[in-house]
Amino acid sequence: MGRYLLRRLISLIPTVLGVTIVVFLLIRLIPGDPAVAMLGEHAARENVERIREQLGLNRPLFLDREALREGNVKGFFDSQYIRYLGRLLRGDLGSSIHRRIPIAEELKQRFPATVELALLSMALAIIAGLPVGVLSAARHNSALDHFSMVASLIGVSMPIFWLGLMEIMLFAVFLGWFPVGGRIDHTATVRTITGLILLDSLITGNLIAFTDALKHLVMPALALATIPMAIIARMTRASMLDALQADYIRTAHAKGLRERVVLYRHALKNALLPIVTIIGIQLGNLLAGAVITETIFSWPGIGKWGMYDAIVGRDYPVVQSVTLLIALAIVFINLIVDISYAFLDPRIHYE
Amino acid sequence: MNTRRFTNIILTLVLVAAAFAASCRGPAARPGAPTGGTFIFGRGGDSVQLDPAIVTDGESFRVTGQCLEPLYQYEPGSTKPIPALATECTPNATSTEWTCKLRKGVKFHDGTDFNADAVIFNFERWRFTNNPYHFESQVFEYYEYMWGGFDDASMITAVQKIDDYTVKFVLSAPLAPFLANLAMDMFAISSPAAIQKYGENYGTPSAGCVGTGPFKFKEWVEGDHITVVANEDYWGGRPSIDQIIWRVIPDDSARFLALKAGDIHALEQAVVEDLAAAESDPNMYVLTRPALNTAYLAFNFRIKEFQDIRVRKAVAHAINRKALVENFYGKYGEVATNFLPPLVWGHNKDIKDWEYNPELAKQLLAEAGFPNGLSEVTIAEDILDAEGNVVYKAGDKIPLTLYYMPVTRFYYPSPKEIGEAMAADLAKAGMNATLELAGDWPTYLGLRRDGLLVGLYMLGWGGDNGDPDNFHNYFFGGLSSENEVKEPDPREGFYANQEVARLLYLAAVNPDQAEREKLYKQVEQLLHDDVARIWIAHNNTPLIFSSKVSGYVPQPVGADYYEWVKIQQ
Repeated sequence: MGRYLLRRLISLIPTVLGVTIVVFLLIRLIPGDPAVAMLGEHAARENVERIREQLGLNRPLFLDREALREGNVKGFFDSQYIRYLGRLLRGDLGSSIHRRIPIAEELKQRFPATVELALLSMALAIIAGLPVGVLSAARHNSALDHFSMVASLIGVSMPIFWLGLMEIMLFAVFLGWFPVGGRIDHTATVRTITGLILLDSLITGNLIAFTDALKHLVMPALALATIPMAIIARMTRASMLDALQADYIRTAHAKGLRERVVLYRHALKNALLPIVTIIGIQLGNLLAGAVITETIFSWPGIGKWGMYDAIVGRDYPVVQSVTLLIALAIVFINLIVDISYAFLDPRIHYE
Repeated sequence: MNTRRFTNIILTLVLVAAAFAASCRGPAARPGAPTGGTFIFGRGGDSVQLDPAIVTDGESFRVTGQCLEPLYQYEPGSTKPIPALATECTPNATSTEWTCKLRKGVKFHDGTDFNADAVIFNFERWRFTNNPYHFESQVFEYYEYMWGGFDDASMITAVQKIDDYTVKFVLSAPLAPFLANLAMDMFAISSPAAIQKYGENYGTPSAGCVGTGPFKFKEWVEGDHITVVANEDYWGGRPSIDQIIWRVIPDDSARFLALKAGDIHALEQAVVEDLAAAESDPNMYVLTRPALNTAYLAFNFRIKEFQDIRVRKAVAHAINRKALVENFYGKYGEVATNFLPPLVWGHNKDIKDWEYNPELAKQLLAEAGFPNGLSEVTIAEDILDAEGNVVYKAGDKIPLTLYYMPVTRFYYPSPKEIGEAMAADLAKAGMNATLELAGDWPTYLGLRRDGLLVGLYMLGWGGDNGDPDNFHNYFFGGLSSENEVKEPDPREGFYANQEVARLLYLAAVNPDQAEREKLYKQVEQLLHDDVARIWIAHNNTPLIFSSKVSGYVPQPVGADYYEWVKIQQ
């Protein structure tokens, strides 16, 4: 297992390098440049040129062949990509083009918000989706089965912006149970330890902040959980139906085991592999930022800022850093999923 | 009592009153006792940065305008420059030197003194690219744009200290809108000590802004909220409320629901349905920010057909702007007849607007040689991109195209739908324009800059300082002497009007406002007669308030006044 982990860690290097090159190229292939985006209606040719130069955008993308022809070896490597990679190796993500604020600083605030929302949504999705899937499979073709499958179909296809606004209308405006949006009330102060407000307020014993943060989380987490919840329920049902056909289930029943034990200990454990896979994929999606949920609930995560706004504003360093972070998160989740296979199925060994 | 003595007493009283009025900020009397409370304002986006010298977005100025002050500011509800940190600025006979008396006894939020050195520190930091605080990563966009450039190119050639509370600005040429420029948000004075302390981080969430304004920076949680608190020692008197919080709520509907739920007290930007709901809701009311913007439809003059004024007139008569305004701007918009909104002096109300008349449009087209309408146009001259490659060749035939904007701007609330309506209007007059989305916003702006929106295209302008020069000069002027030849600018669809450019030059260097006003009215008439562009609409921006709030003054330009805001607890 140790050697396997080491191999996986080493394979990170080409993955990350590949991600940097692809993202670096893709964002620059879209027409329109950051200087123009920055100046808006004011853009004049001369200041656009000056800003491009100031930001280093006038340098060649990968290698400067012209400099080499002039015998300038150092200039040959003075390109946008090499400059970026050099900074990255020193642990510097650079600054946002538009905001001139170090990206690392902003990520430190925003990524925990995204993680917190993603984890809670995933917890909700598993808590609700898994039992529904198991029961639907156990009572195959029953009214419960049909009902839950129709409900999950609706869950998958429900537009989040609509669901979100309905939640706000009902729970915030009419019932007044939850705040309309945001992460925590401006009067609350929480000492930052992990950046996850729920966890930090628990650690510091700040129950008021904990309750307030939880209230802020409920609606966006519910909205964000609908799709993974429905997918998990459907996947669990399909996988369980397969497992329930197996001979060992008949044997278990024949031994006189209780229904619950057969379902959860024998069938579910064997059905879990594809479910864990799908949970990993869904969690990756959630961590990549939920642009719509964040917009509706004013959630200060990485989705709207790092993906939507940064792409529209051609804020290259932000797009590059956020994509890199998301790629790392997904690689990490995949690793955990792979390791969990070995625990779920003793026949799987990693050498 | 003899009349002479009586006159003297009256005069003294008037002077005392005037001095008192000058010491108060704005026209309303200072509130006696603070009413306290937190005023929460909902907005669509976060501030970019809180150093106003290096940003260009309204969401940043919304905050810096409360924290920092320029030497001049705009009169509440208008665009007229009035003293702020300066008590007066007077020009010499040729308007090339302005001597400004500074307000005494004012302190920055960090406790340091506001004085001539502070003013000079700020101006030198903005101007000199080798100044240690003019950081390489920072773009001082507006200094370059308003004052002609950096270093030796700057129109302000020196800021001299006469004494601790007097500075003299020396200009390279007379600049009529000097005070209007000085009052802009970007030229607000920051504490030199704070800039020295925070360096490149000044204005970022960890440092905030340090000025002399009515509110002090407290905290900024990125993407969530910014808090400022009342400045107890404000020279104009302590504000009524204790603090302001600007909360970011990106979604228009969610923002309105937050107001309805009582989570916020006020908001800007709302969809038409929510505005209607707000107007009939007894718990809310609507104020409007007077329009300092103009939406227009521009021609690309490298199209042969558009070089014929009869075709341009046909377009002007074909578009039903009244219906556009009614349908898309509601009661907050108004049809534009000038480039300058009615609020700005120089607006020419004698211009006879183009009448909506599709039949007349068809007739004009027929006269121009297109009795069967127009759906294809000809390139008159090669059009190159920024690298010098020919994109359109002279003689090429291309479909008549109407480019619509990919994003909503305050002057075009729903650009795609408005573009569709315009295309439908054009079709009724025999012009079959293809609607085209050229790309996203940066792409669109890039194509516009290079003159590559080849057809009719939508765009607009929001004024920066309320001076007519700030509207016209960027588009139609740009001369540095009266007799310079005006070259067609690709950015403006290759339009060039020598007489307009000459008059704009004269207006920019003439210190006499009455004469300038005449010149701008003349410019408006010339642009109208030439159908240089079709002015579509001005949009007054609605703001919705909870009925608990009173005393907010929305500004057409510059920072809104929050000092008189009161909240019913």
